[in-house]
Amino acid sequence: MNWIRRRFRPEQIREWVLILLLIVLILSFGMVIQDYYTGRTFNRISSSIAIIAVMAVGETLVFLTRNYDLSVGSITGFTAYFVGMQLTRNANIPPLAVVLLAIGTGALMGSVNGLLVAYGRIPAVIVTLGTLALYRTMLVEYSGAKTILTSDMPKWMQDLSSTTLFSIGQVDLRLIVAIALAVVVLFQLVLTYLPYGRRLYAIGSNPDAARVAGFPAQRIVFLAFVLSGALSGLAGFMFLGRFGTITVVAAQGSEMQAIAAVVVGGVSTSGGSGTAIGAFLGAALIGLLEQSLRRIPAISEFWRDALLGMLILLAVATDLVIMKRLREFWARGELRVESSGPEGSGMEQPSQEALHPATGGK
Amino acid sequence: MFQRFLTALWERLKSWEGLLLILLLATIFVNSRLTPAYLTFENQINLFELYIEKIIVALIMAFVIINGEIDLSVASVMGLAAGTMAILFEHGAPAPLALLSGLAAGALCGLFNGFWIAYVGLPSLVVTLAGLIGYRGLVYVLVRDRSITAFPDWLNRLGQQPLIGPFTLAMLIFFALAIAAVILLQYSGFGRYVYVIGNSKEVARYSGVQVHRVKMALFIASGTIAALAGMLYASRLGAMRGSTAEGFELEIITMVLLGGVSIFGGKGSIWGVLLSILIILNLHNGMGLAGLSGHLRAGVIGILLILSVLVPNLAGKVRESLGRQRRLQRAVETVEIEA
Amino acid sequence: METPILETRHISKRFDMTQALDDVSLALYPGEIHALVGENGAGKSTLIKIMTGVHRPDQGEILLDGKPITIHNSQEAQAYGIAAIYQEPMIFPDLNVAENLFISHRSRGPVVRWGRMYRDAEAILAKLDVRLDARMPARSLTLAAQQAVEIARAISLDVRVLIMDEPTSSLSAHEVTQLFRLVRSLRNQGVAILFIGHRLEEVLEIADRVTVLRDGKWISSTPRSQVTPEQVIRDMVGRQMEEFFAKSTAQRGDLLMSVRNLGKENVFQGINFDIYRGEVLGFAGLIGARRTDVALALFGIEPADTGEIILEGKSRQIRSPEQALQLGIAYVTEDRRNLGLIMPMTIAANISLPTLPRYLSRLGLIRQGRELADAEEYRRRLDIRAPSVRVELEKLSGGNQQKVVLSKWLNANPRLLILDEPTRGIDVRTKAEVHHMINDLAAQGLGILLISSDLPEVLAMSDRILVMREGRQMGLFNRAEATQEVIMTAAMGHYNSTHIWNDRGEARP
Repeated sequence: MNWIRRRFRPEQIREWVLILLLIVLILSFGMVIQDYYTGRTFNRISSSIAIIAVMAVGETLVFLTRNYDLSVGSITGFTAYFVGMQLTRNANIPPLAVVLLAIGTGALMGSVNGLLVAYGRIPAVIVTLGTLALYRTMLVEYSGAKTILTSDMPKWMQDLSSTTLFSIGQVDLRLIVAIALAVVVLFQLVLTYLPYGRRLYAIGSNPDAARVAGFPAQRIVFLAFVLSGALSGLAGFMFLGRFGTITVVAAQGSEMQAIAAVVVGGVSTSGGSGTAIGAFLGAALIGLLEQSLRRIPAISEFWRDALLGMLILLAVATDLVIMKRLREFWARGELRVESSGPEGSGMEQPSQEALHPATGGK
Repeated sequence: MFQRFLTALWERLKSWEGLLLILLLATIFVNSRLTPAYLTFENQINLFELYIEKIIVALIMAFVIINGEIDLSVASVMGLAAGTMAILFEHGAPAPLALLSGLAAGALCGLFNGFWIAYVGLPSLVVTLAGLIGYRGLVYVLVRDRSITAFPDWLNRLGQQPLIGPFTLAMLIFFALAIAAVILLQYSGFGRYVYVIGNSKEVARYSGVQVHRVKMALFIASGTIAALAGMLYASRLGAMRGSTAEGFELEIITMVLLGGVSIFGGKGSIWGVLLSILIILNLHNGMGLAGLSGHLRAGVIGILLILSVLVPNLAGKVRESLGRQRRLQRAVETVEIEA
Repeated sequence: METPILETRHISKRFDMTQALDDVSLALYPGEIHALVGENGAGKSTLIKIMTGVHRPDQGEILLDGKPITIHNSQEAQAYGIAAIYQEPMIFPDLNVAENLFISHRSRGPVVRWGRMYRDAEAILAKLDVRLDARMPARSLTLAAQQAVEIARAISLDVRVLIMDEPTSSLSAHEVTQLFRLVRSLRNQGVAILFIGHRLEEVLEIADRVTVLRDGKWISSTPRSQVTPEQVIRDMVGRQMEEFFAKSTAQRGDLLMSVRNLGKENVFQGINFDIYRGEVLGFAGLIGARRTDVALALFGIEPADTGEIILEGKSRQIRSPEQALQLGIAYVTEDRRNLGLIMPMTIAANISLPTLPRYLSRLGLIRQGRELADAEEYRRRLDIRAPSVRVELEKLSGGNQQKVVLSKWLNANPRLLILDEPTRGIDVRTKAEVHHMINDLAAQGLGILLISSDLPEVLAMSDRILVMREGRQMGLFNRAEATQEVIMTAAMGHYNSTHIWNDRGEARP
């Protein structure tokens, strides 16, 4: 028991619970829905999760710093259209350049957010609420309300969503799914192994201490928004591949799914904790629910957003109530200073003030 | 005596409201250049009518933000109330039932929001964000992808035709609510509590103020008024669908923040919000005249939203560096007062 | 005599009305634990702030290794090897111990090597003989452990001067023992330590040298071997008793409130006293004594777990400030900026706040006329220096702000008025006015609970004095038997020089 306490943290337990929940859901759906355990189902669900997962990873970076990015949907939509338009005009652009273009555009849009939040000191909610509208407007203006059609895309783009890396029987590992997985893995590594990633946690965990410790907090937050934008750009590319037909309402509302994925995945709304894997699991849960519920005729597809809202609320409320208890119960780090002198292992109960930060008494 | 009046006026003008007044006059000026028919009474009435529902909600949003919270779910509540009413009318329910149910839907949403925020202590941003998503989802559950037009004629007439003089019911409601808002916020005990809590929840608590109750009341009011606005909107359009009022929260919040209400709470007045409403309405008119599409206008509003927080921030920074001088000065001043 | 690592010479610093430091010189030598003691307001925290670059001295100089330097900000102080640890630990709750140690390091390479980080962390912790799991999230550490992490972080950054500001106030005796082992280990490694503490036996236990400050002035610096507790106390308090308004012995009236065995788990326990109308009951003690917590329990902000509060013969539950106000209890906070006043609002609005219902018409509108009139009344009565009661509070001086806070609660017509450090940070003249008013109020039949760390004030104003220490009641003294020494010794855990009370209340010679 103690070994578990030492090696894992309550947050990781949460992730395991999510996995468990996923398994339970899959089993439950399998009992109710016909032909559930087929390759087709897997492919469809995994493709739909992929895009949200990429956006959710970007959103996680921002959440870690105690900020929010409501504009990811608009960025995704815009880049999808923008890139699609370029391809319509010139079908010979190499695929890699297209991807880079999408990412770059998204990064640029994200940098506007970053500038205003990190340097303009405007609350992230306000900024991204504004850019949510602004970028959607840009999309409408740029597109002139014209739609991009799949048929205008080069063949490789048209086939993008069905491009498969390899298959095991009926189950494919689609390219876009692989991209999503790669992004999740990459950023999980960034968050775990790069100093930049760790500083994201620090800033969200205790902004005052971060300042005192001398972090370039503004630069770090700015970069988080740029990365969020870049990932939304990538999602835009994937969106283009999946849907082909892009209208002015492309990806509208997808920021809500991204945020829901992040919150359900255990990323804290007050910053400082959460992982890319958690965000991915959240996206998986949401994607699974959405796609599977569709196949139960009794439940209309229109329950999706209502469900999303409930999920967010539940996740946050649960975190508040349960995680707090869990953390308190989890491990007590008492101070023990042992030199050569023999002092009995008399462990006194840690002062309760340590658990509930003291008002500094008087 | 006259000098005191002038200095008071100058103080007022230097403030945020003064800035707004200038902005308003500038907008009107530009617009009147664009078209001669601009300054007619009819035109102004028309303007109001087009946005009346949003400005009704802006009034209660001002209270919520001054109190240090935010309600992102208002637009979804508008849709939900409209949907509840529409569905009931479609099924032939008696008018009082349909109308009351719409209001009740809004009040319940407000109650729900208020519970999590005031009593459980979750941040209002997250709760109302969940509400924004969730309540909108419920709208779609009710209405699916249809468009409901089965409103009784009298309802449509109420929504579209003027009731007294040139004013529609919605406008009359707005006037009444605006007056009530001014009185409530600036002159009543409740309004005082709203400001105090927005300034510092802790001081309020230590001074014996019932913080929970005030917050709960505000969110219930927010839900109910949003519901009212939603139903008025549907009756004006004569139709209602799942996307009714989608995205309205952006403009509503902009109206409030542009009006000088601080996003951090504790500061602002209804007067400022009324001025900013006028500015935004006239801006819309101007944008319409200039041929800007609805989406482009939304973009402009987005920029306005950001600027309405950016400018005070920057001004604050400038003031801070000047402030050091002023603080020294004040230290000297207080010594003089003491002497 | 070796060169001190850090030395402050003839430092003076003034804030608005108060001379916080007046010609203070202090030298910190490597491998020495230098304790700094003094009452609240003696100037200790100002000195620390100057050493860590938060403030700049008006006069005097700072020398590092004998050479004069200027410290512009806390980053620079860190670069000089000066680190400070306060009561509020500056750690990252979501990161683990090892990360907390190294997060501010620039030069650990482009990739985080967790294995190596844990080993390095354990090495540093081992150097300090601290047994902590490097993988543990900082959030789940006790306060003492968090402080240890901060210390370890300082070590990892090659700290040369470690300033510890009241680190033990929230720690249990056992934790203090652990902390002191750590501190000694630091000292043995050549770090200069400035230790600010208020518990005399702790200070005497850990210090190599003791410096006493009083009213911003340096009083004495003595090596531990030559120090006696009595001498320290005398240095801390021994000043000419200022001309305070002599307290008129008011008529003691009926019993107002009885408190029996009041306790709150892990905060305070066993509080027993009666308070009568017309009486001033002083609450003396040092920081960490938990006097404010008792007040908060009486006022309903942080209700007690055990014990009884008896008013007018009935046992009462006070679970909210509203209830307290209804029972006639008012609490004037010590933290007037953050808890007592709404700065951007007017004097009148602040005064009417707790009793706002009284000013409402039937429709709920505020009767501005009455509000202003009542505020004017207080402006006159308390002599609040402001052009009018419509002035915003932020424009007033500290003393006048305090008067507004008092007015606010007086306006609630309380029967029991709890004053928490009412004259802290206030100029002498206003102080006298406040004292005058306290006497008046007592004469009018109010019961007054006066929490104050200003010993002369408590002695001059109180009819009886209750002394607390670490949440416990150490004694209840009559005016006659109370002297500065008696109070101070009780507050610090001494009871006359031949006895020492430990935590369990046992006397040891």
